[in-house]
Amino acid sequence: MIEVAGLRVVLPPATVALHGIDLVVRQGEFVVVLGRSGAGKTTFLRSLNRLVEPTAGTVRVAGRAITGAGATELRAVRRQIGMVFQQFNLVRRASVLENVLAGRLGYVPSVASVLGRFPQTDLELARTCLAQVGLVHLADRRADTLSGGEQQRVAIARALAQRPAVILADEPTASLDPALTSSIMDILKTINREHGLTLVVSQHQLETALAYATRIVGFRQGRVAFDGPPAAVTPAVVQAIYGDGDGR
Amino acid sequence: MTRAALFVAVIVLAWLVWDTGADPVRLARGVPWILDFIRRMMPPDLRVLPAALLGALKTVEIALLGTAVAAVMALPLGFLSARNVAPGPVFYPARAVLNFFRSVDTLVYALVFVAAVGLGPFPGVLAVVAYTTTSLAKLYSEAVEGIDPGPVDAITATGATRLQILRFGVMPQILPLFLSYVLYRLESNIRAATVLGFVGAGGIGFYLQTYLRMIDYPAASTVLLVTVAMVMVVDAISSRLRDRLV
Ligand SMILES: Nc1ncnc2c1ncn2[C@@H]1O[C@H](COP(=O)(O)OP(=O)(O)O)[C@@H](O)[C@H]1O
Ligand SMILES: [Mg+2]
Repeated sequence: MIEVAGLRVVLPPATVALHGIDLVVRQGEFVVVLGRSGAGKTTFLRSLNRLVEPTAGTVRVAGRAITGAGATELRAVRRQIGMVFQQFNLVRRASVLENVLAGRLGYVPSVASVLGRFPQTDLELARTCLAQVGLVHLADRRADTLSGGEQQRVAIARALAQRPAVILADEPTASLDPALTSSIMDILKTINREHGLTLVVSQHQLETALAYATRIVGFRQGRVAFDGPPAAVTPAVVQAIYGDGDGR
Repeated sequence: MTRAALFVAVIVLAWLVWDTGADPVRLARGVPWILDFIRRMMPPDLRVLPAALLGALKTVEIALLGTAVAAVMALPLGFLSARNVAPGPVFYPARAVLNFFRSVDTLVYALVFVAAVGLGPFPGVLAVVAYTTTSLAKLYSEAVEGIDPGPVDAITATGATRLQILRFGVMPQILPLFLSYVLYRLESNIRAATVLGFVGAGGIGFYLQTYLRMIDYPAASTVLLVTVAMVMVVDAISSRLRDRLV
């Protein structure tokens, strides 16, 4: 579902954030990316949909190359990839429903959407996605009046509205009260299990990662230091990913 | 260090007092004249009220039209002088142009435009446009620079076009700020426009200057009272609108 080959990212001025990553994620996997702060997790996820421009290497998603794609093809591939951010990144002044509708932007005619016109089917789909995260009763509220946990659920609904093949989530629980971690991770798990969506989620909490992942990919200094099932994560593996830290 | 700075400040202030001829005794001696001036303004001559109101209306019109035109003209300039939008070769010249034109006050522009197009409210409008365009462009560019990249990333990630990113990721963040800056400029332009009449650029200032020249202080005081009322009314409406935007 995601094929990454030789992915290298140099951030200006000269930080080598990723040193040639090779990774294949199969349909239906729940991959959790682990690693210390600065290991390259965010850069990796953002180069999968080219929010960060790769310096070298190729990325294919759902059978289509996103690296090297022209503007139109890039947008067509992007709409296959939902993204959830650590800071939710909702449009604060817009309503919850409008935020979810934004997930349809890749499908609707540009000018009509700019005038605020969306097909009736998209409105219904947006409501369905809101119901999936249990927030349909908040559809008309302004996004910034919601709690952090609710905002992240709206962000997940926005990603679902894209009807994506893949969802990328960059530390989706890091800005939330730890008590909310499982509520967000549970929703992601449900999406993964019931809809067969492929998930790539970065996490800084080892226990959470082990509890939800079907596969763990450990990053260290821009390289893959471990790749395997949660059961294979031994103390030696934790040491290899985190170095001399305590694993957190 | 702080004592040295204090010492320098005292020296500078003392020199400023000397060089400007600032003299409390002279001010004290002038107080009876001020009181006499106020006494001669009383009671206001209400016969000139219609003329004063008409003048006030002209002033509001000059400020409104000038601000509205400037609000639109400042849009491209504002984006071109935002560091996170414009490339370097565009950004630096745009900023320089803004800073140059902003350093000239509305009243000075009015002098130029009166000379260019003749007397009346029209040069006043042009003067307001000239100053406000650049000052709004500066404020717009700061709003654009202060944008949160998060929602822009999120909209981009959905596969949106540039137009959609602008509409759904950028505009909601900057539009309320832009509108509140426009209202704020409108308030200060009303004040600036009250004196435009002094140089022949229309509005209520023309009446104030005329009555003062004719030594008709009761009439001048009516004009002053109307000016104060006009400024207060516009401020009240504008600040109400601004509160709604946040
Ligand atoms: N905008 C940026 N410009 C330059 N370097 C960056 C930028 N963002 C991140 N980096 C660097 O890239 C490396 C990887 O960062 P990141 O992908 O954010 O790691 P993680 O998400 O695992 O914390 C780090 O060395 C970080 O300092
Ligand atoms: Mg990160």
